[in-house]
Amino acid sequence: MQTTNEYNRKRYRLGLWFVAPAVFVLLIVLAYPIFASLVLSFLRVRFAGQGLSFEFNGLNNYADLFRKDLFREALFRSVYYTVIEVVSVILLALLVALMLNHPLGRSAFYRVVLLVPWALAPVANAVLWKWIYNANYGILNQALRGLGAIEENIIWLGKPWLALNMILVADIWKAVPFIALLILAGLQNIPSYLYKAARLDGANAWQQFVHITLPGIKTTFVISIVLQSIWALKVFDLIYVLTKGSPADSTVLLNYLSWRETFSNLDIGYGAAIANVLFALMLMLALVYIRALRPRQTQAQGG
Amino acid sequence: MPIIQRFLTRFFIRFGLITFTLLALGPVIWAVVTSLLPLSSLTSHPIDLNPANVTVENYFLVFASSRGLVSGLINSLIIATFTSAVGLVIGSMAAYALARLNMPNSSRILMMILATQMFPGIVIVIPLFLVMSRTGLVDTHFGLIIVYLSFILPIVIWILKGFFESVPMELERAAAVDGASPFQTFRYIVLPISLPPLFATGVFAFIEAWNEFFFAIILTRIHVKTASIAIAEFSGQYQTLYGQMLASAVLASIPVVALAIIFRRFILEGFVEGAIKA
Repeated sequence: MQTTNEYNRKRYRLGLWFVAPAVFVLLIVLAYPIFASLVLSFLRVRFAGQGLSFEFNGLNNYADLFRKDLFREALFRSVYYTVIEVVSVILLALLVALMLNHPLGRSAFYRVVLLVPWALAPVANAVLWKWIYNANYGILNQALRGLGAIEENIIWLGKPWLALNMILVADIWKAVPFIALLILAGLQNIPSYLYKAARLDGANAWQQFVHITLPGIKTTFVISIVLQSIWALKVFDLIYVLTKGSPADSTVLLNYLSWRETFSNLDIGYGAAIANVLFALMLMLALVYIRALRPRQTQAQGG
Repeated sequence: MPIIQRFLTRFFIRFGLITFTLLALGPVIWAVVTSLLPLSSLTSHPIDLNPANVTVENYFLVFASSRGLVSGLINSLIIATFTSAVGLVIGSMAAYALARLNMPNSSRILMMILATQMFPGIVIVIPLFLVMSRTGLVDTHFGLIIVYLSFILPIVIWILKGFFESVPMELERAAAVDGASPFQTFRYIVLPISLPPLFATGVFAFIEAWNEFFFAIILTRIHVKTASIAIAEFSGQYQTLYGQMLASAVLASIPVVALAIIFRRFILEGFVEGAIKA
């Protein structure tokens, strides 16, 4: 027999050994790069012969952000993209989740339907929409012409705002299922006796929705909004496959711009500065997520 | 009145469910159907959907050509397998420690781990690229696997920690009374009953690693191009070979879509609910 104290000490020591490898890996692939990215954004990085030369550049990379129109435009478009995506995805996902929570929609078949767009490789999704949007042979133009809605083929990815919105459609299509699953899980966590009690009190379906369903999925809603905002700010694969930022840089969003400045234009310090702006935006969203996940008592204290 | 209302509600929900199913599956079915048609059918006006033309020619051409899809699929398989295996080993240990081994501040550590999920990849990939080019890790399986652990490990730890907490404490106490060390308890009691969630978490990690594109396009050159890279390049260079483009997209999606459908119960119950519960 061992004493409780000794046993607890052993557990603690084992715990340290058990977290060590994960902490080690995460330090290398997360903590170090995040720190280094901050440092890089204050440097001018030049290619010198075989290697790189680093030179202190103060706040110039960040000052450049404000001097360059493309950054401002990309920031504006990223915000537009994120807002439209989040609003559309949340509303559509709520609609789908409500239908799937209804007795008629309980079948496992619909869950499988939801998983297909979610699991699809993002690049495969992009290729799929590239084909649907194809100006000459795409099904979208053919269908619209067949219905008599348009006379001539539309070059969906060839006009500035249109291209961005078509990318949005492809992204929303892929994003709705996961959020719908989240909201569905939230709906199923609402105790059914609340509805029974409301019906006894004579509440109609709309009243039940407003006073029980919506408050019941409030936390899920906040989490969905945060997660979806983060994913929308990160959009890359669709732009890379569908437009590469064209026409006339009108589909260049922040993440894509940072990648292009760093790895195509080789302006590494400036690319890192853009990345850090994106990082700051997401960090704020991540903090909201963590707050929403906090156990109930802290929420009660906060009001 | 109530009967009419009930009828109308059911009618609209049925209609909504059908619309939803068509919208969700339509594009996928369209991709599969058109990947089975020859180019001549795809480029005729209107598109020629005559079933007599159905052929697997596109798939054959994709496999036969040297455009990298086959090696891409192999690379994706290697990378996704190793990422999920290493992630499971390291992640399950950390998850158990956070769930049961009295780590100080374990809830705060867990929140930090979760927050790492929300970093934009671009922030970490620029410094990693610089380090990896100096150490010769760019365009290697090892390099990509290590980088993939940055987003796989947090998911694995998050899901498994939730599961380990649900293992009855009595089980572990009984083992301790019988003289088992904490490590033996983990190895011989906790791990064996955790095989189903471990396996399912591995599947989830596999899907995520298989689908990754952003790190892969930056950290690979020639040798370890993944399937996603092969498809993206193909659709850029041979963008008029629609059938082959779609065939490769379908091929790269079959494994992950199949895994998601087979393990749907876990994904629905484990991961989705885990995301909304602390």
